[in-house]
Amino acid sequence: MPSSFGIGRRASSSASALAQFLRDAVVEVRCGAAGGDAGAGTGIVWGGAGLIVTNAHCVARDAAIAIRSGNRTSDATLIALHRGHDLALLAAPTVRGPMLEARDPLSLRPGELVFAHGHPLGVQDALAMGVLHAVVPDARSGEPRWIVADVRLAPGNSGGPLVDAEGRLLGINSMVVNGLGLAVPTPLVQRLVDHALSRRAA
Amino acid sequence: MSPSRGAAADRGTLAELSSQLAGAVERAGNAIVAIHARKRIPSSGVVWRDGIIVSASHTVRRDGEIPVTLPNGDSVRASIAGRDAQSDLIALRLPPGVGKAHVAPRADADALRVGSLVLAVGRPGRDVSASFGIVSAIPDAWRTWQGARIDRVMRLDLSIYDGFSGGALVDASGAVLGVNNSALARGTPMALPAAAVDRVVDELLERGHVRRAFLGVAVQPVMLPSALVQRLGLAHETALMVMSVADDSPAERGGLLVGDVLVAVDGAALRRPTDLLDALSHGKPGASLALRVLRAGSLETVSVTPADRAPRAEGG
Repeated sequence: MPSSFGIGRRASSSASALAQFLRDAVVEVRCGAAGGDAGAGTGIVWGGAGLIVTNAHCVARDAAIAIRSGNRTSDATLIALHRGHDLALLAAPTVRGPMLEARDPLSLRPGELVFAHGHPLGVQDALAMGVLHAVVPDARSGEPRWIVADVRLAPGNSGGPLVDAEGRLLGINSMVVNGLGLAVPTPLVQRLVDHALSRRAA
Repeated sequence: MSPSRGAAADRGTLAELSSQLAGAVERAGNAIVAIHARKRIPSSGVVWRDGIIVSASHTVRRDGEIPVTLPNGDSVRASIAGRDAQSDLIALRLPPGVGKAHVAPRADADALRVGSLVLAVGRPGRDVSASFGIVSAIPDAWRTWQGARIDRVMRLDLSIYDGFSGGALVDASGAVLGVNNSALARGTPMALPAAAVDRVVDELLERGHVRRAFLGVAVQPVMLPSALVQRLGLAHETALMVMSVADDSPAERGGLLVGDVLVAVDGAALRRPTDLLDALSHGKPGASLALRVLRAGSLETVSVTPADRAPRAEGG
């Protein structure tokens, strides 16, 4: 018998602190296709304010996009869509969130804890815990292409963050393949964001 | 910025656990190989002893020389030492001198309990990968879907992904508890405990197969009339009726007939077919069994000597 359950208690409380932190870092993305019912996904507040990153499959080009952050709903406009990487960049001027630190995918080790936050199957602000399964490199460039996690994801998790035990961002949860959760790695996302913003500014 | 300072002290616990789990995977990964013996993705294997790999037999769909990728990336060819269908284990022999540095560290099996944190470690390709969960149950005696009984098999709350069967179940320090297999229970994640794997490996290395005592009968449970049960002083109402006797089998040689009702073996009641399977698995081929048989209304004793079920040609 263990002399105390201290580690379990501390691990549990730090998991809930992480959940609390992530709650402030994500939004709910609701996209209404013309005349149809809105689909819902998750989005990440990027760079602390005004920008949301989510999956391309969560939004549509000509549809209204609503962002729910905390208790407030606001409209968002589509800045860029990259279907190949299933990413979308939205402008939502009134939305704020904590700055997320990026985690270098090359430093990831199979077995380390990962956490996915989002709104799976309509449940608000749900946290899932798992471990890193593998990092899959791009066949041509050799750069990390997918972060693969042994974590239970469901529809609605799309566009949400995959973070490590210290809340650093590994990538954006995008799909489930054979039970494994696949996320687009942060460097890839950052590159697309930078490119979209520079085009916008130009 | 990372989450607030207030939570930073707590954050250390998760980070520490995370790092330890990654370390466990790395340590175990040093003993996990990839086995290329089927059309789909490779399966995983564990370097169980010096020069010996263990994996799930159903994932090795060929005989002869089997390509294996070692943890250091080297490609070698292993030969099959033997297979056992009942436990779905296969033992492969590495070329001489190979694999010494990669033998899997063993965990203390007695420390394992329901709720213990465990990792499944596999190598369905070049790199090692992992899944995580807990030991869900350790049933005392559990049967495969074919009726074989396995003691202390571990039922797991984790995912055995494609290519993971044949890989290792490890504890939080990366020491091996058993071999993962999703085929033992038609998809339920299970692991065969190391002690059971050892017993099978011992026999596979010694004689190329595991001796399984075999009688050569098909049986079906039947209800006995209560008058008969009373008259004969039997302790139970169901027994096993012999539906067929295989040609040239120990049952035929012992004189068993279709229609015989098997009531007990070596004094132990036979109520269900699994009772007979258990008696056979406890016995050894060559050691005779005393069957209490109800034939034409009266009890007789028939002596049968189970033989070794001939190893079936598999794979290929």
